[in-house]
Formats: sequence, structure tokens, C-alpha cells
Amino acid sequence: MTKIGLCIGAFLLAFAGFAQEINFTEYNLNNGLHVILHQDNDAPVVAVGVMYHVGAKDEAPDRSGFAHFFEHLLFGGTKYIDKGDWYKIISSHGGFSNANTTQDRTYYYEVLPANNLKLALWMESERMLHPVIDQGGVNTQAKVVKEEKRMRIDNAPYGRLRYGEVINTYLFKNHPYKSTVIGTMEDVEAAKLSEFKAFFDKYYVPNNAVLVVAGDIDKQQAKAWIEAYFSEIPSGDTVPRVQVSEPPVNGPIKATEYDPNIRIPVKVLAYRTPGRSAHDTYVLNMISTLLTDGKSSWMHQALVDKQEIALAVLDLYRTYEDYGIYVIGALPMNNVPLDSLTKAMDAQIHRLKTELISEQEYQKLLNTMENRLANSYITQKNIANALAAFYIYYDGQTGLINKQLEAYKKITRQEIKEAANKYFTKNERLNLNYLPGSGAKNTKNKES
Amino acid sequence: MKIKFISILVLCLLTMPLQAQVDRSKMPMPGEAPQIHLGVPATFKLDNGLKVLVVENHERSKVMAKLIIDNKPYPEGYKAGTKALYAWVMGTGTQKIDKDAFNERIDFLGGQVNYNAEGAYASALTKYFPEVFGLMAKGLLHPKFTQTEFYDQKKRLIRNIKATQTSAKAVAEHIQAALTYGKHHPYGEFKTVETVKNVHLADVKSYYNNFITPKNAYLVVVGDITLLEVKNLVKKYFSEWIKTVPPIVSLPQVHSAQYTQINFVNMPNAVQSIIAVVNPIHLQKTSSDYFAALIANQILGGGTSGRLFTKLREDKGYTYSAHSSITDDKYVSRFKATTSVRNAVTDSAVIALLNEIKHIRNKKVTTQELQLAKAKYAGTFVRGLESPSAVADFALNIETENLPPDFYRNYLKHIDAVTVAEVQQAAQKYFKLNHARIVIVGNGPAVAPYLEQLTFNGKKLPVKYFNTKGERIEKPAYAEVEITSDTTNVGISAGLVYHKYIGAIGGEEAVQNVSSIYAKYTGYIGPRAITLLVKQTKDNKSLKKIEFGDILIQKIVFDGENGHVKIGETKRAFTSDELEAAKQQTDLFPELEVPETAKVAGTEMINGQKAYVVIVSKKKTNYYSVDSGLKLRTLIQTPKGAKVINYTKYKTVNGVKFPFEVSKAFGTQSIVFKAQEILVNQNVSTADFK
Repeated sequence: MTKIGLCIGAFLLAFAGFAQEINFTEYNLNNGLHVILHQDNDAPVVAVGVMYHVGAKDEAPDRSGFAHFFEHLLFGGTKYIDKGDWYKIISSHGGFSNANTTQDRTYYYEVLPANNLKLALWMESERMLHPVIDQGGVNTQAKVVKEEKRMRIDNAPYGRLRYGEVINTYLFKNHPYKSTVIGTMEDVEAAKLSEFKAFFDKYYVPNNAVLVVAGDIDKQQAKAWIEAYFSEIPSGDTVPRVQVSEPPVNGPIKATEYDPNIRIPVKVLAYRTPGRSAHDTYVLNMISTLLTDGKSSWMHQALVDKQEIALAVLDLYRTYEDYGIYVIGALPMNNVPLDSLTKAMDAQIHRLKTELISEQEYQKLLNTMENRLANSYITQKNIANALAAFYIYYDGQTGLINKQLEAYKKITRQEIKEAANKYFTKNERLNLNYLPGSGAKNTKNKES
Repeated sequence: MKIKFISILVLCLLTMPLQAQVDRSKMPMPGEAPQIHLGVPATFKLDNGLKVLVVENHERSKVMAKLIIDNKPYPEGYKAGTKALYAWVMGTGTQKIDKDAFNERIDFLGGQVNYNAEGAYASALTKYFPEVFGLMAKGLLHPKFTQTEFYDQKKRLIRNIKATQTSAKAVAEHIQAALTYGKHHPYGEFKTVETVKNVHLADVKSYYNNFITPKNAYLVVVGDITLLEVKNLVKKYFSEWIKTVPPIVSLPQVHSAQYTQINFVNMPNAVQSIIAVVNPIHLQKTSSDYFAALIANQILGGGTSGRLFTKLREDKGYTYSAHSSITDDKYVSRFKATTSVRNAVTDSAVIALLNEIKHIRNKKVTTQELQLAKAKYAGTFVRGLESPSAVADFALNIETENLPPDFYRNYLKHIDAVTVAEVQQAAQKYFKLNHARIVIVGNGPAVAPYLEQLTFNGKKLPVKYFNTKGERIEKPAYAEVEITSDTTNVGISAGLVYHKYIGAIGGEEAVQNVSSIYAKYTGYIGPRAITLLVKQTKDNKSLKKIEFGDILIQKIVFDGENGHVKIGETKRAFTSDELEAAKQQTDLFPELEVPETAKVAGTEMINGQKAYVVIVSKKKTNYYSVDSGLKLRTLIQTPKGAKVINYTKYKTVNGVKFPFEVSKAFGTQSIVFKAQEILVNQNVSTADFK
């Protein structure tokens, strides 16, 4: 009996493998908490994550940095977990725990040996039900977040560029994406304790969250524990969503920004693109790969190899829930003027707009995308995160995680050309000089 | 029997219910320790000796192959760099395919091919794997060694070496290896511009012919592929590989230092000292105390919970990071405890490192520490199993290191079985306190004179000097390049003076146990008694009250964030300067931390005792007795002149010595305060600081 069971199991496993799918089960608790389970018993590891559909874009306009700051606060302790014990508990069980915040969502997770699933569920349910939010925690985290901002942005070469600070402020006029996730300390310090509590009551409710459990689990057991720990958490009101649409970028915008941590400037061209769930996100992913991925990419070949005017080329494609930004840039070789870099990059974009890419290049792109997909989602940590993100960003269509390759394969060479024409227009772009130094005053005016 | 039956029943009931009841006020206990299911790779061998291990994993449609040639290491001698150059000229095409075509094809297929001195690597999507694997094999078996390519790579390698010559970190790494293993051991030798210049294309070819042979070679294939497919591929590409026997080279013996010593290398541009306490060891995965050694190292210096990190970073603030490592190897390996610290605390950090090694050797670790270390180790091991190549790596280790087949299946059991006593034995065996080399790469003039004064366990630590090539040199005359003219060479750093002072008043542990101080002093101005009441806490709250008889003269209160001054009936908030100064006070005993600015300026006689003069800041100077280590005087510069505070009559309260007589002199006035009462961790409450 057992033997037969095992054989069938092995057969099913192998079959699922050929299909290249991430298998999962999903359902809702009565309080609206969405649950996704992914079972993979290969290694005795379990990842537990909770993604709340709240991010920097949900902050009040004069409270930039609030959502990220709040994420830090939620490690402070709960009714049954003493202040400062969170990390100790996790590490004394052989695991690790962390969290991150973006414009659109906040994600908390832990990875542990699989026999500690119950512990992780307990901790995340405590965080959702009983967090201690007090002035002491606010004071402590203010110091920590200041250091984090220093490390990531203020002291980091190209930090203001990498975190989009110098891009979003120009490409968004109305939408909260105009501010950075880390925000300003003044805003956060001005926040009252009551505001933190209200933020929690409004957004940190089960009906605004998805719980993912991935790894070496017994589904029935996991379901029972999830029910036991999470079902008593009361649901909240329907969560409002940001509804701000941006008029087309009224440009071209020419701007200069400074970074005291760098010695080599960057010429940056940035465009606004659609949100993550748009079909064109796949097309733009391919374009981004074509232009800057690796030594055989178009921009690398043209600017670095052939013309020898750039030290390196870069690309930053970030998709948020409502919009995206697509950024290309180049670091000049020696004294090459930044304008020559603009011209050279424009030539590549022009090529993309006017020529079809070759069959050979198209096939290479598909190979690259497929290889990339095969190399993602290796660890339970990544799988949990991806499942949660698909659920949140694709309006509950978690299954799209398994349709990515299909989506790429459907894209035609013609579509690539069309997307380039649609999004890469000079009148709707930011043309930025990112320069070394502190720059007394940043300038902002139209491209001449 | 009956009991057994019941417990099975209970067990069944426990695993059955869907509506599990939980008590969320209690932290859940871990379930049964996870079972490790480790696949056993399929293996086969070619006639030429190549052994192949195959791990099928069809979860993703990709495959990777890793070739490892497990030759015994040999010293490259005056041609060090030959192996590096070999690795760099590989993959630049084959006899039949030129370099560009070779690389473009791999790029097109989205694959990856690399070579190193002891093997090669290929990975690709399942459908392209046969072709990518073939390219890797052709590159390995039919390499094209051209003079032009060799020359280009040689230039590149020399440029790389030159670029790292000014890096203290790079120098430290090769010096540590050279001094641990000896310069003539393959693990200790390193390439220099000179040795690379000695390498010719013929040497690379001869390395290839002698050592790239299937005799000791293993090929590991992991991924979406069947055993049969691997067999066909390997036979197709590797059957023609001809077996040769690599030359047999004997390895020089490796010895620990005869006695514990400092080995110093000067890097004139260094702003930090890189300190490493090292000794060679013989530790294999098969050693009976292997797991005890891993745990001992974990407790001493593993990650952020290790003692070294806690002590040197969290407690003392000497460094951003401090840790230790222990490695195992078939031939020889090493123990290393390391940290990078600023110049001023180099000598103190050496003592701190040695103290921790001494501590873990002499005193048993607590069961709590042991449990935590085990949990962390087990967690890391378990999480490592997620990597699809883990199974293959384990299988390879079992092959090449002669491990029992169930070594990794029992790994967690072995970790769990380690006892407190075994940890101590392993620490004593592998952390060689009396035969350690303390390799320091740092700024000679700034730190070497202090190192010369160091003693440990009552013995002087001899300092030997080396150049960046690892050659012993005479003690350099650093005095000529002394950078600070105001620093008299007294042979001790501020950090060590502080360390001595803390030791003199009762030792760090006792001092750390003080969370508040209550002190009441009385002095006389003429016939009138003046009372001084001081309450202070570790988290920087303070209260100072001065009374003339019953009349309150002045009260200064600081609650850690804000402060106020009350003179008579008027009360005012701290000025921003006062607030700044109050906030800077970080501890009841400021000597627990060594500020960047603190400098020993020389010695002076204070009330008949020779004292070190430590300039803490522009405003503040402290004097510490050379003999007793105790603080004798503080001098504070104010706009109105110097204020002198003398400390005498030290007495012990709760294991810590306090001065029971404090005299304050300011201008022409001098008051002697005598302590009526000093209490530790008593008579102080938060309400005092409101």
C-alpha cells in the first residue's frame, strides 16, 4: 500500500516538474485573509511570509517614509513576544527573519527549519493581532532608520539614483510615487503615536494581507495551525486604494542632480511606463535585456565596445502597481561630454523604433528570458515572495506566475518595435545629468 | 507496555485534528527534528578514471555540470601564478572554434561556461545543455594556447596584482596565509609581479599536460537530465581524455609558532589595523572532534552572536566586525580569529582577542550558549539543503574525503550530540593560545610602539617584523617618521590605559553590573557644610543637587533626552550646549569606551605618583596612576580657567572601587568632598530624574 502510494507520488512529482510549474493551493479565511500554500518536501525548510497591500504610496502627503518606518516598528514586540526578542527567537530556532517595504506593499518573512512552522505562524499572527506600538519603539526606530537612510542613500555612491529619488520626483507630479519609500526623517518625526495606531487599524487587517507558507509542510497540518492562529484576528473595513492618474509627462524635462559620493557622472534618460500588471511589462523586460544585459547587449556594444565613449551602461526598470519607470544611463569615459552619451543612446533607441530586431536576436532574447525564469524561484524564500507578489499585483491572479514564459513567447518582434515607439518619446522623458558634488541648487527646466 | 500503547494513541490523536487548539500566550515548541532526505547520486566511471556523479532533479528544466580535478596541491615556487594564468587562457576558444564564436554561441544559448585551475563548469537550459556541455568539454580537451592571448592575460594579471599592492586587506590575506603555512607551502605561497613575470606559455602548457588529467577527476551533473543521457554525453566528449599521472610532490611540514608572538607588517597608508590570531591545525571531517570544533568556533566567533562580535563590537566599539573561522582540509588547515580596528585601539583589541580565546579554553561554555550555537548551525545546514547542488557537493565530499556514506544524513545528530566538555576540549586543541601568531597589518609608526609594550598572561608578547612579501626584517626605526609631535612615546595607548583602569576598579564584569550610582558627599566652605548628592544611571540619566545646610543651591536634572537646571526657585531648560554635553556622556564609566580623539600625551607626577596623561578632548584631560591604574585627576578647561578634580581614597562598593574623597579646585577655591555614602544599584528611581 505504502509502496504504491510512494510510486504515484514520485510520478506526480516528476510530471509537475516537466510542467515547470510552481504548484500551490489558495483560499480565504473568514476574516478575509488570503492564504497560499506551496508544498515542496525536498529540503526540510519552510518560508512564511505575510504581504500587506500597503506601501509608501498610501502615506499621507506630509508623511513620506511613514510606511517603511512602520515596518520597522512592527519588529518591536507583541503582547506575547517581548520587546527585542523577535530576532532572538528566530535565530535560536535556526532561522532568519526580515522585512521590506516598497511603494505598494510591505512584506514580512522568516525562513526556518521545517519543524518550526508553528512558531513562524504564531509570530506572524501575533504581529497582525497584538503588536506593541509605543513611543519607546518610535524613538528607537527613528535612530535605526536614520542610519539605514545614511547607508543606503546619503553615503552610498549613486544611491539617490539607484533608489529612484532623482527620477520619480520629475516623472510624477500628482501620484505619491513622486516621493521615495525611505522618505524624509522630518516627516516621520512629526508623526504622532496616534497616527501609527490609526495606520495599523486601517491597513494591517487580514482582508488586506496575504499569508504564504512555502516548503516542507503537511498541508492539512499547516491549514489547521493557520486557522487556529489567524482566524480570530478581526477583519477591518474595506481598504481604500490610491486613485491618482498622471497626465502625460510634459517635457522634455532637463534636470541636474548631485551626489557627493561619486567621482564619475552619469547621463540618465528616464521614461514613464505602465504598471506591473500591464502586458507591456513583459515587452519592456525584453527591451531592457536587449539594450543593457551583458556584454553583447546593444548599448554595451555601441557605447562601451565600439565607440569607447562610456565606461559602463546601466538600466533600471522598476514596475510599481500603478506605473513604472524605465531608465537607461551611461557613465562617460574620461572627459567625454554627457551630451555625446545622450546622442549615442538615442541612436540605439532610434534603431529599436525603426528596425525589427533580427530573428537570431529574438531567439537569443527568448533563451535569456527562459534561462532567467529557470534560475528564479530556487529557494522557498523566493517562491513565497513571488507568490504573494503575484497575488497582490495581479489582482488575485496568483496563477500568472506559471504563465510568464508563455507570455514572453507570445511577444512578436513587431510588438517590441511598437512598444519602443509608444514609450520612448523625447517629449515625455527626463534627461538628467547626475553629477559629482553637492550642487548648491538643483535646476529644473525644459530641454533646449 | 501499556504506557507505550497509550503514548502511541496520544500521538495519533495529536496529529489528527484539523481544528488545532493553540494557546497564543505560549511560544510554540518546535516539532520533531526534521528528517534529512538526501538523495544518493548515481555514479559511473570511465576507463580513463573520470568518475561521474549524477543527481536527477526535474523541478526546473536546466542542468549544470561541474568538473573537479582533485590533485594534491603542489607549490608553484618562483613561478607562482602559473595556475591563475592557465585558468585565464582557458575558454578563449578551441583548436577549431575561435574565441568570439565560442563565446557568442554560449551567450546565444543563454548558457554559462567557466574554467578554473582545477576544473570547469557548464550550465544551461535542458534543451541546450548538450551543446553547452560539448563546448565546455571541447574547450577543456582541445584548448588553444596562443602567445597573444597568453601575453594579454599575463598583462592583465600583473595589473591586478599591482592594483592590490596598496590594499591592506589583500596584503593581510596573503601575509596571514604565508605566516600560517610557510611561504613554500602551496597554501602559503602567493603570486607577485616578479613570479608572474617568470611564467611562460610553456609553463602553462606543462601545467595543463601534467595536471589536467582524468586520473583524479570527478564530474558532477545536477538537474533535469537522466543518467542515460549523461552517460551518452560524457562518453561522447570525455572518452578520448587521456589518463596521465600527475607528478608526485611532497608538501613541506607546517608548524605552529614556537611561542605566541606578534608578526607585524607595516602598511604606511593604513588607517586601520587588520589583526588575525592564527594557527595551523589538522582537522578533517572525519576527525572525532570535528563537530565539537565547529561548535566551539561558532560560540567564539561565529557571526553576530559570537563572543568576539559581542565583546569587540557591541561592548567595546572597537570595530564593525570581529569573528573567527575554522576550516577542515585533507592536508592542513587553520584557525583564525580576526578583526579590523582603528589605530588607537590596536593593542587593546589584541588583548581582547587573546582574552576571549583564553576564556573559551579555560572555562566551559554555558548550556544556553551551546544550545544557541547548535540551533544556528543546524539551521544553516538545513537551509543549505535548498540548493540543488548540495546533494552533489555532499556526494563529492564523501568521495574525495573518505567520509562514511551516511555522514550528511547524520550531520544534525552529530551536531546535537556535542557536549559542553567536548567544546572545551576542542577549543583547547585547536585554538592555540601558547603557539599563536598574531598577524597585524597596519600603520607602523602609529601602532607598533604600543604593540612592543604588550604583555599577556604576565609575559611580554615579542614583536617580529615582516615586509609585505612575508620576509622577516629588522625592527624598523619608526621614530623618524613619528607623525604626531605632541605624543611622547610612552609606549601605551589610551585604550590600554582605560583597560587598566577598568581592571583596577574591579574588572569589566563588575563595572558592567553597575546600573546606577547613588553618592552623597559633604564638604566645608569655611564653617558651613555643603552637601553634594549625585544620582546617575547607566542609561544616562543624572541628578546633581548641591545644598548649603537645608537650602537648595542648585539642582541639575537630565532624563536622557532633556534636562533642566534649578537655581534657588528659578528653573530653566538646558542650553543646547549643555544638552549636547549631557548626551555625549555615554556610560557611568566613560572609560568603557575609547573615543577616537583620546591620546596618551606622556606621564606626569600627580600627588607623588607617576601618572599617564590622557587627553580625551580639547576640554578634558584625565590622569591615571602608572602603578595602580586608578584615575587620579581630571582637568577640565572652561572659559574661566581650569577646573581640577582629584580622586583619592578608593574603596570597594559592590565589587567596584569608587573614590571616597574628591577634591575640586577652581581658581583660588578648593573644596574637599568626603563621601558619606556610595550605593550601587540602590536608592535611585526614574522619578528622581523628572
